[in-house]
Amino acid sequence: MAKVRSFMAGIVGACWFAGFAYVACQEAATANTRENAGDTAEFFEKRVRPVLAENCFSCHGEELQMAGLRLDSRQAILKGRENGHIVVKPGDPENSPLIRAIRHRGEIKMPPTGRLSEEEIQVITEWVRMGVPWPEEAATAPNSDAREFFEEHIRPILVDRCYACHTDSASGGFRLDSRESLLRGGSRGPAIIPGKPEESLLIRAVSRIDSNLMMPLVGEKLSDQEIANLKAWISMGAPWPESSLAQAGRKIGAQTKVHWSFQPVKASAIPEVKNEAWVKTPVDAFILAKLENKALAPSPPADPRALIRRAYYDLIGLPPTPKEVEAFRANPSPEAFAEIVDRLLTSPQYGERWGRHWLDVARYGETKGYTTVGLPEELRYPFAYTYRDWVIRAFNEDIPYDQFLTYQIAADYLVKGEDKRDLAALGFLTLGRRVQNNIHEIIDDRLDVVFRGTQALTIGCARCHDHKYDPIPTKDYYSLYGVFASTEEKTLPLVASHTEVEPFNAFERERQTREKKMKEFLKAKRAALLPRFRQQVGEYLVAAHAAEMLRVPANAIKLHLVMVERWRSYLEKTRQEFHPVFGPWNAFATLLEQDFAAKAPALAAEFSSGQGREKRANPLVAKLFAGRPPNSLQEVAERYGRLFNELDVTWKSTAEPRTDPAEEELRQVLYGQDSPTNVPEEATKPGQHSIATFLDEPSHDELDALKRSLLRWSFSASAPPHALVLVDAPEPNKPRVFIRGKPDTLGEEVPRQFLVALVGAKREPFKQGSGRLELARAIANRHNPLTARVLVNRVWLWLFGAGLVRTPSDFGLRSEPPSHSELLDYLAQRFMDEGWSVKKLVRLIVLSSVYQQSSEDNPQHRLVDPENRLLWRMNRRRLDFESLRDSLLFASGNLDTKMGGRSVDLTEQPFSGRRTVYGFIDRDNLPAMMRAFDFAAPETHSPQRINTTVPQQALFMMNSPFVIEQARSLAKRAEVGGPSDTDSGIRSLYRVVFQRDPSSEEIMLAQRFLGAGKIEGPESAVSKPQVWYYGFGEFDEQAKRVRSFEPFPHWTGESWQGGSDLPVPKLGRALLKAEEGHPGPDAQHAVIRRWVAPRDGEVSIVGTLTQPPSFATAAIAGDGVRGRIISSRWGELGSWLVHNGFTETSIEQIEVKRGDTLDFVVDCRTNPYYDSFAWAPTIRLVEPPQKEAAEEVMEWSAANDFAGPSKKIPEALTSWEKYAQVLMMSNEFIFLD
Amino acid sequence: MPHHKFQIEDSFLTRRQFLHRCGLGFGALALADLMSQAGLLASEAVPHAPSPLAPKQPMFPARAKRVIHLFANGGPSHVDTFDPKPMLDKYHGKTLPQSFQTEVKTGGAFRSPFTFRKFGQSGIEVSEIFEHVGECIDDICVIRSMYTDVPNHEPAMLLMNCGDPIQVRPSMGSWVTYGLGTENQQLPGYIAMCPGGLPDVGPQNWRSAFLPGAYQGVYLNTQHTNVEKLIEHIRNQYTSLKEQRRQLDLLLEVNERHQRERNQDAQLEARVQSFELAYRMQMEASAAFDISKEPQHIRDMYGNTTYAKQVLIARRLIEGGVRFVQVYTGAVGPWDSHDDLEIEHRRLAKESDKATATLLKDLKQRGLLDETLVIWGGEFGRTPTVELPTGGNSHSPTGRDHNHHGFTMWLAGGGIKGGHVHGATDEFGFQAIENKVHIHDLHATILWLLGFDHEKFTYRYAGRDFRLTDIHGKVVKEILA
Repeated sequence: MAKVRSFMAGIVGACWFAGFAYVACQEAATANTRENAGDTAEFFEKRVRPVLAENCFSCHGEELQMAGLRLDSRQAILKGRENGHIVVKPGDPENSPLIRAIRHRGEIKMPPTGRLSEEEIQVITEWVRMGVPWPEEAATAPNSDAREFFEEHIRPILVDRCYACHTDSASGGFRLDSRESLLRGGSRGPAIIPGKPEESLLIRAVSRIDSNLMMPLVGEKLSDQEIANLKAWISMGAPWPESSLAQAGRKIGAQTKVHWSFQPVKASAIPEVKNEAWVKTPVDAFILAKLENKALAPSPPADPRALIRRAYYDLIGLPPTPKEVEAFRANPSPEAFAEIVDRLLTSPQYGERWGRHWLDVARYGETKGYTTVGLPEELRYPFAYTYRDWVIRAFNEDIPYDQFLTYQIAADYLVKGEDKRDLAALGFLTLGRRVQNNIHEIIDDRLDVVFRGTQALTIGCARCHDHKYDPIPTKDYYSLYGVFASTEEKTLPLVASHTEVEPFNAFERERQTREKKMKEFLKAKRAALLPRFRQQVGEYLVAAHAAEMLRVPANAIKLHLVMVERWRSYLEKTRQEFHPVFGPWNAFATLLEQDFAAKAPALAAEFSSGQGREKRANPLVAKLFAGRPPNSLQEVAERYGRLFNELDVTWKSTAEPRTDPAEEELRQVLYGQDSPTNVPEEATKPGQHSIATFLDEPSHDELDALKRSLLRWSFSASAPPHALVLVDAPEPNKPRVFIRGKPDTLGEEVPRQFLVALVGAKREPFKQGSGRLELARAIANRHNPLTARVLVNRVWLWLFGAGLVRTPSDFGLRSEPPSHSELLDYLAQRFMDEGWSVKKLVRLIVLSSVYQQSSEDNPQHRLVDPENRLLWRMNRRRLDFESLRDSLLFASGNLDTKMGGRSVDLTEQPFSGRRTVYGFIDRDNLPAMMRAFDFAAPETHSPQRINTTVPQQALFMMNSPFVIEQARSLAKRAEVGGPSDTDSGIRSLYRVVFQRDPSSEEIMLAQRFLGAGKIEGPESAVSKPQVWYYGFGEFDEQAKRVRSFEPFPHWTGESWQGGSDLPVPKLGRALLKAEEGHPGPDAQHAVIRRWVAPRDGEVSIVGTLTQPPSFATAAIAGDGVRGRIISSRWGELGSWLVHNGFTETSIEQIEVKRGDTLDFVVDCRTNPYYDSFAWAPTIRLVEPPQKEAAEEVMEWSAANDFAGPSKKIPEALTSWEKYAQVLMMSNEFIFLD
Repeated sequence: MPHHKFQIEDSFLTRRQFLHRCGLGFGALALADLMSQAGLLASEAVPHAPSPLAPKQPMFPARAKRVIHLFANGGPSHVDTFDPKPMLDKYHGKTLPQSFQTEVKTGGAFRSPFTFRKFGQSGIEVSEIFEHVGECIDDICVIRSMYTDVPNHEPAMLLMNCGDPIQVRPSMGSWVTYGLGTENQQLPGYIAMCPGGLPDVGPQNWRSAFLPGAYQGVYLNTQHTNVEKLIEHIRNQYTSLKEQRRQLDLLLEVNERHQRERNQDAQLEARVQSFELAYRMQMEASAAFDISKEPQHIRDMYGNTTYAKQVLIARRLIEGGVRFVQVYTGAVGPWDSHDDLEIEHRRLAKESDKATATLLKDLKQRGLLDETLVIWGGEFGRTPTVELPTGGNSHSPTGRDHNHHGFTMWLAGGGIKGGHVHGATDEFGFQAIENKVHIHDLHATILWLLGFDHEKFTYRYAGRDFRLTDIHGKVVKEILA
């Protein structure tokens, strides 16, 4: 294989075509060869096939058939080359061109990279003389049973037990990952002989019968079953399914050499064309040549309005103003269009448009995805926006693309001066998903965004196995993994100059103050809690023992159950071998209660005597039992407890090591690393307990408030821009392959280095730190065949709606070749030659005739090229979500052109007029409207926007308050004039929306619409009387009435409560949701769900009051809640207590008069904690109303009717506003010709 | 029907591209469906871009056309519901002879607080808390040998829904709507309901990932009954339907003029149609979600719980041609009874038992059960041993921890063998030991019932053909009718 790799396919093909002369070759095979041949099959498998496999198959096999020739079956060999020339004459090596070729005796020399050994030549010659025998074998096409058997029983053995050594590292010069390698074997010869398990070396090795060859070297011997399976498999002929990875891997090498995207970018010659007049830029020549080749002609130029709209949207994502369109129409100069393009390229809005394209590539999002955290602030990246703004600036400043990439991968190496702004570029790497904060996933995400984004390579496939199709071995994945594993994250300020330093310092000081507050709080809590735990050793020993025995620990003793569990698992560990401190305890604990009195004295004597195994008992513990055997386990615990108490008191709860070894041993129990009572302030690993675990609810609230205050500071308006960056770790990671992608099965160590497919086997490992800068430079490199091509193709896609390569993030072996490969190369070369300038590239393409064509259909052309791959016209495109929303704002006059800064919520009213690129992107919960409009899914890198048409898009245009607001603003615009003068109003409206005048027919259509119809709100808008109210108050126990009712002051969107962050003073956590609630902290602040009877009648009430089991600990668990139903007419109708359970709260029948109230009152009883409840009663009219009044409401459900503050019913749209909306909904508005 | 290789652009290419890619057999059929849907058969000459949700034929004749997945999120205990283990009584409070890795440490055996009895002709044992479901047991196949990869909610939810615990993959519902489209263009094809908030991992449960956004599940917070809160922008608050119709009539004319000059472009036509669909959707969707349109006796049959409400909505949606409906028990994971299992499981079962049984009976009575696959279960099961307090839970050993080694799910309807038990856990219910069924196998089976070979039902993305079952999965033939 190695030899084959370096030859060029084209040359070889040509040689074969040149033809053969049959030259007799008189060399006879040696007798020796024949003697050794043994039976034919064995000769073939052992001697012939290895030679063919090693030297021929990669070019003359399944994947490649150079010169139309295959050499991997007898039939194929006899068939010969595609031009009908034979390559062997069975039995006649002298007249077989193949033999001549391998002897290098003619024009054709095979293999092209070097001569076979004399022995190999003799083998092949002999084989031809024998008549080209090719033994029948199962392996060439394993049937499905064989395949299943292999996959189920054989491959797992090979992978689990052999591959750690025998794959790429090829221990013993021998690999086990393809049938060929097994047949070829290593230094001892073939590993298997198909059909002959007993003679196969592999079986001898795994059977461990030969002390020189015992495999696997590491781990246990294979089971008898496994060995039997291997034997069975060899008996079957060692079938190895064709689709297997290794098989594919073997073929990759040769393909890499011919696959288009791995070839160096070639400076393509500009083709000659007939219609030279059409060629405005070289781009056109490439397009036209292909068209002419198919006898197609390009479309005529687009009309000026279509063209200027196209250019505006493509370059800045916004439409031109009517004036700009008119000016362009009126300017016949051939330079007019170029002037517009140049103006747009310098507009700051260019960066907003093109930056957003890149943000798709960079899977830009502002949330972390799923991580295990509590506060919503922790799910957001506080400074994501600085990356977005950096990208926009980079496009506006036209930072050379190679530099643009280098910054995004390694800005920390380059930013050394005062201007730190470029550090923000590293957001490209850092702002991805944080899958459970799993570092392997985070690195995988980073590798994916870098390699699919810049190289169009799917290297993620190589995480578990060599890439199935592309030349990316698993080792390369881990080489790159190591680069990112050698980094750390930091949040750094983006200080631009001295003058700006102070705000950063002020911010940092305050941040530290807040952080310190939180830490001090934890420290104080820890200092308060831990001494108590240390004083309770005895009690915890008893409780831990009880827990072990599954007895419920007594709630009466004020123990913390998590601490019980810490003790239980601590004690469990002390039982692995005799523990000097707890050995005695463990021994007593195993005694049965009834045997205790009888057996304890002996144990006590044993421990106190210091004899036998108990010699190792801690002397202070041994002393506990000297001369006085305990009467119960309880007593043992108490003695332990007293011992620790006394010691800790003498030590004054300091953690100082003791000089006395016995004391030190005991001190370790309370203060050691794994001590149950030594709870850290903060958890450093997931699942670890921290002091927060032991806080009661009020302290938890306090801690949350402190945490929130710290986190929010980073989101505050006063937070100056920072960036989440990567820096190199002090010690670079030495990556090792994770076998099958599993971090716990480590394979061989690999250097940190770039892809072999792109830089060849002679690559140098990275030397500088993590190697990130070297990685960046390997990518942003003129010699990298992919980087420029990938970007050029993306730019083409962003301008035409389809790339020259239609898989913009996969240029691998399975991708479709470019529709215009010379053009792609021309552009890539020119792009690099012109200093990697994206603006120059865009300009070149946009000024070409091909871009300026009409998008008109041409049915004849469509027949020939239905997908318009040859670009006989411009593609008609629909605006993407950003352009659509920005256009609506543009038309309505509400567009806010402010640039940069923190993101805004696009869904919230009042609606922001900022450009859509500044909308907040919640990675895991993208607003439905963005999904509906095919916004780039921000979970991972997005190669290109998908384009769907679904009714949800129409619903948004028809009904969303956002569109309605824009329609109303549009109708009110001064330029539009207003409905008083409809004729000119319609004209102005057309000019604003479509940048053209309406036809007379269109005016008539409008007038017909405006003349008919009326201002009419929706049928559902008839206001219903409010029946439910949400507040708090006090129940008067004596009078059995509600003494006061005050409505809640704050509405969160789903809950009525005292303020935005709970708890608040007085009202505490009091709140009411649709079905749930929480009472206030005292009787004066019971929560009240009030129903006001809208009519007279008899009603019944049904409902269930639930108080779910809390997450409280026994020591501080709440006492449940009390629910009452109070009628303003009849007083208390019912009262229910509920604690960790539920109860029905039904009232059979009660009379109400219009205006009466029914209050659903819930109070906290005496303990104000752990009082969340659910109670959503339904009130029903007992007597249904008469039939004629069927529309009347008969049932009021607390859950269904639940609502926030009643909204004003919006004003109905006027005809003029409706008309404006129709124009915004039209196809003309949203499609670009 | 020739094998159809599903490819990325099937759903949004022009008709020409569509036919070109799919081979005539499939393409012509789907197109005919689509065109009759859109009333376009008369004008054959008009190129038309198919809606991504237009109904499509599966690879082979399907046993089930629609799916209702009753997702008991949080992980219901199998040994307290559908997998009785008398040995737990015997070992109650004692350490089990085997030990298993669980999320946190568990203690000794914990006997079920509930009693089991035999139901139906088949005599399958079901817990007292699911007595109504028990009455339907002869229509149900209980798989007692489910197992999954991890004992944590989040990855287990993702594995159950998307076939992978970590990577971004499309959900099963997205795959199904991608493969089959949906029968009613006025309603979303895939709806996920959960009252009062989101289940663990939120919208990732019904994400379309790299499939087009049209296949993403539409989430409904069924705490609300107000359709405006259920489907975004389903109602216009600013004008009457009559006036809106007038707007759309004008829009048709405006678009018609625009289109006339542009040689009947398929994408233009598709967008015109989408407005008409949207207009009708406003009425249809409201009706589908309005359970007050059900007769009182039906509503009574289902019961008065929120769960019952969503199950009834699910039936209405399925009846209306929605392809895939998921019904979650509630926000986060209500079945996660680390503590007070007896109280909690009893309450949750009480809220859902009758409604679930009624759903099966109701579907059957309407002749819909045969072609509707009903799936019940959580993301994993619970340990037969008691959970010890560690901080994640609470105050006393009265609950069970997560158990991914073995648990129960049941299926009914569309092509499923009723009154059948498949597989078994060990004598304590810790681990599936007989006829084990992995989530991938379940997915393979569901796809098979819907007419797809899970190995061939792929989507090309990032250079690779992805499947719901990744590289795993085997159809569980034994549970098929």
